[in-house]
Amino acid sequence: MKIAYDHLVDRIKEKPTIEEVSDNLLQLGHEHEVEGNVFNMEFTPNRGDCLSINGLLRDLSVFYTCDINQKIYSEELNSLQIDFKNLTPDICPQISFLKLEIDKIPDKYNGYLNDYFLDLGVNKNNFFTDISNYISYETGQPTHCYDADKMNGRLVLQELDINQEFETLLNKKINLKNKNSVFLLDDKVINLAGVIGGKSTSCSSETKTVLVECAFFKPEAIIGKSVKYDIQSEASHKFERFVDPACHDRVIRRFINIVSEHANIKDISAISYEFEQNKVIKIPVNVNKINQIIGINISEEQYLNYLSKLGFLINNDLILVPSYRSDIETQNDLAEEVARIIGYDNISKNDLNIPKGKISNNYAIENKLRYFLLDEGFYEVINAPFVSGSIDNSIKVDNPLDSNKTYLRTNITDSLLDNLLFNERRQKDSIKLFEISDIYTSKNNEIIKTRKIAIIASGRVGHNHEDFSKKINQKHLTEIFQKALPNENFDFQILSRDSLDTKIKNEIVCCELDIDNFSPEVLNYKQTVKSPDNYNQYSPISDLPYSIRDLSFSIKDFSKRESLEDYILGFKDEFLKKVYIFDYFYNEKNSEIKIGFRFVFQSPSSTITEREVNDIIGVIINHTQKIKGISIPGLN
Amino acid sequence: MSSNKDISPPKIIKDRGSIHPINNMKDSIMSLLVSFGFEIVDGPEVETEEFNFDMLNIKKTHPARQMHDTFYVEKKSNLLRTHTSPVQIRGMLEKKPPLAFISGGKVYRKDDDATHLPMFHQVEGIFIDENVSFAQLKDLIYKIIYSLFGDDVELRFRPSYFPFTEPSAEVDILSKEGKWLEILGCGLVNPIVLENCNIDSDNYSGLAFGLGIERIAMLKHGVKDIREFYKSNLDFLSQFK
Repeated sequence: MKIAYDHLVDRIKEKPTIEEVSDNLLQLGHEHEVEGNVFNMEFTPNRGDCLSINGLLRDLSVFYTCDINQKIYSEELNSLQIDFKNLTPDICPQISFLKLEIDKIPDKYNGYLNDYFLDLGVNKNNFFTDISNYISYETGQPTHCYDADKMNGRLVLQELDINQEFETLLNKKINLKNKNSVFLLDDKVINLAGVIGGKSTSCSSETKTVLVECAFFKPEAIIGKSVKYDIQSEASHKFERFVDPACHDRVIRRFINIVSEHANIKDISAISYEFEQNKVIKIPVNVNKINQIIGINISEEQYLNYLSKLGFLINNDLILVPSYRSDIETQNDLAEEVARIIGYDNISKNDLNIPKGKISNNYAIENKLRYFLLDEGFYEVINAPFVSGSIDNSIKVDNPLDSNKTYLRTNITDSLLDNLLFNERRQKDSIKLFEISDIYTSKNNEIIKTRKIAIIASGRVGHNHEDFSKKINQKHLTEIFQKALPNENFDFQILSRDSLDTKIKNEIVCCELDIDNFSPEVLNYKQTVKSPDNYNQYSPISDLPYSIRDLSFSIKDFSKRESLEDYILGFKDEFLKKVYIFDYFYNEKNSEIKIGFRFVFQSPSSTITEREVNDIIGVIINHTQKIKGISIPGLN
Repeated sequence: MSSNKDISPPKIIKDRGSIHPINNMKDSIMSLLVSFGFEIVDGPEVETEEFNFDMLNIKKTHPARQMHDTFYVEKKSNLLRTHTSPVQIRGMLEKKPPLAFISGGKVYRKDDDATHLPMFHQVEGIFIDENVSFAQLKDLIYKIIYSLFGDDVELRFRPSYFPFTEPSAEVDILSKEGKWLEILGCGLVNPIVLENCNIDSDNYSGLAFGLGIERIAMLKHGVKDIREFYKSNLDFLSQFK
């Protein structure tokens, strides 16, 4: 909600700067951005009472002298004759109507009303609707204006199971479905209660006689309606967050006052219905409890002074909660009020010592498995559980994000296969992944949770001269896992590539096991990898293709081998992603070492060109050619 | 003359894998909290409305309960937990105070954009004892934040609203760029929640806090787009060894 600084400060005696107001709003818990001279407020959902100038001033009264009582019409009002029936008093326990006729529609607005439209860039509609919008901004109470000349007939407020088209005053046609609270005029829907009025009875620039509806709708009757019908409605935003049920008389009189400042009023009448009496919440005065909750030591006088500034009344030993504060019911609520006024950052901390708890060992086995897999070059992944396909015991999501995410997965392997193919498409030639996750299924209306580990691998065994030419296969993985964890049965399977959209032929090996089926022997595994003890700064990754180059060297002077390796493995370039030795051969007969290096290049910003790669390789070749006893076969 | 070293094969540099940065961050935070005295408890990701909302004083009218915010499953008989708080409820129902629990794991909300995902991770903690105060909560939060971001980090507490805590606060830290960044939510356990868990709120009070793991991991590692964590791209994962 946008609130102009000028509109606030006009009513604050001390005239604080915008920075001072901003700081105090933040201390009170009202998050906002300052946009020029406007506060773009983001109120917490329990503070519907702050969604107005007056509401915010009520809170700021703890710091400043604020004028909240604007001029209202103070004469007695004639009783309005209206044929109205409220069939849903449980949803709308208070409602008032005001009928007002003017002789001439004003062609311009005075002072604060004009400023409202100007300072906030709000579009004008028609005289009465404009006042209604301003009243909502000033008081927080939404009102709806009907063109009184179009309101002949019986007006009924009813909650209906309904299926009919309704055209809003913003010319949007919506199909009302299921239960809705609506105003009916001779059985025709004219207003989606608390959300938006209809076109058929709306005011126009010609309207001189208005029927103003001022209601209190319980939040549960309104909530979700604007989302359901995709309507931006400030009224529903306020009703959903609770408006003051006791403000109708004041709001109606303020409405009349504003009209009277712009036009001659020919006739006024009003009526209020109260189907349920407002209950005043009373909380015992207990400063000791407040001090204990916050961990401070204030006097009762100071405490009650704080609450008085916020509009709470003190009657004997009871605190009477104002009708607009639906969020206050308990001593803890009052403690929060005090803490806000003092300022959370001004409350000193007190030592907290928690006795040592029991150390849980629930994850010992899976953590050991994790580190074993890390030792073997596997990367842990995390996948969301939503999938398109189902089996008999799949759990169905009632409201999925899209039709491809309708069920909860019943296995992890399918997700890992997607991850593997994703990486293959990005030219990864050695892919080893695992995931540990809870899997949920349903049987006889019971939700069953199973903790599982799944492993998948394909491609080269590793990026070193021993493993480069070896391919991951079922036998290889089984042997490695058996050697390290001899008491466990991983039961590796080969996944067929027949139905996969890929030309790569490498065997895909996988397994998926219940964590509960592992034996405690796993804990005997001696891991070599440790979890990182610092937080690496991430370098943005590129989705652009790699370019790969191999360079093979012949070494006759073996004493130069180390310097060659050090130079190449330590070579840095922004486009060089990785370099490793993929081939090594010592030919004793020829007294020669052949060593091959693989270079993987990638540009962060555009597809790397042949020339860019050649330039980098050229630097490496030039350097290595200067080393005596080392040559690149076939180069010269 | 060549030595054996000169002709021996190069040292095998084995490729090592890595723990997912989110799990690593979660484990670090949980270990820190265990060192403070908290005990780890677990709970299901598929929850009931009762444990996810009702017991936590989240009223039927609360926007979070709407179909556009929460994933419901099996004809609304259950839901995917929207926070790890139901685990605390289960813990409080099982044990008597004093108690100090933490729980961590996946939670779900119906969001999907550059800054929000339908699945993310939280760690939450709760401590219930006699006379637990907001001032003690502040002490704990300072210890957590200083451990995570260093003793020189500037932080602030802001009033906020969570139905299950009262008073409630959000805690921000000041970034190097001079921007306040929200790090965690916390508060004193709402007495209504204690009573829902059969804990006498006249004799006991408690504190609770919750951290979003992705947010902290993004700050610590300098990751700008939350979606990177879940693409399973080896170029990304290999940076967190």
